[in-house]
Amino acid sequence: MPTIAVVILALFSALLAGVLVVRPAITVSRAGKILAFGVLFFLPLFSLAVGMENEMQRSKSTAFCLSCHIMESYGKSLHVDDPSYLAAAHYQNHRVPADEACYTCHTNYAMFGSFKAKLGGLRHLYVFYLKKMPLPEDIKLHEPFNNRECLHCHLGARSFEQGATHNADPDTLPAVKANKLSCISSGCHDVVHNVGRWGNNVKFWDGGS
Amino acid sequence: MPPDDFMVRRLRISGILVIFGLLIEAFCLVWSRPIAFVVLVTLGGALIGLGVVFFLHSLISAPPHTTDSPGISLHKQ
Repeated sequence: MPTIAVVILALFSALLAGVLVVRPAITVSRAGKILAFGVLFFLPLFSLAVGMENEMQRSKSTAFCLSCHIMESYGKSLHVDDPSYLAAAHYQNHRVPADEACYTCHTNYAMFGSFKAKLGGLRHLYVFYLKKMPLPEDIKLHEPFNNRECLHCHLGARSFEQGATHNADPDTLPAVKANKLSCISSGCHDVVHNVGRWGNNVKFWDGGS
Repeated sequence: MPPDDFMVRRLRISGILVIFGLLIEAFCLVWSRPIAFVVLVTLGGALIGLGVVFFLHSLISAPPHTTDSPGISLHKQ
């Protein structure tokens, strides 16, 4: 449901509740009792559920993640004009949905993965508001990046399964699939965001925003 | 306290709690900041939940009705 519709629903529910507060006598009739039940039970809970779902969806958006100042350089890294930058290559070529780029790679594709991602987000908020914020280049992942998150899309893809480098050694693919050989920290795809290490020669693509 | 006043007062309190919760929800939906989600869940959700629980509790704890007067009651007149 669009945000504006949820806002209208919440305001409309509040208006009806206001009518009950001002004129509680209307509950004397049967219709009034039904109205009171709808206004003080069903509508608020429905509105809250829809509102929370709306916020959950919004929290997946790239714009939401980049709305914190500290994430600006990570957003900028999506526009680096260099295909060796993993995040930029995925974002610019729509290998991940551009409007949910951060969430797509940084969620956990296991049971309760979204829930864990939200808990991670709460931790970010805690650090952002109550602790000393690290420099963008000092931000680290909560835990090592699991190949499962890459394989969620790449497993079975021809470029992955039949890629020359992946098949140069017969042990490589099984090790990658078993998460024994990391995609991003074993020297293969280790240039991801590289915030703080761009140097002066890096160029930026101005599309896709 | 007469039963009517009891219900009227409780209806008003739960209504006010729900109104504040819904207004906070509407505000948070418009306020596009990460903290808005936390405010929505903790403050808005708590007020709405409290209002709903207060309303339900008032339904089951209302004194029996003895007269034809306004107010919700589960008890037959």
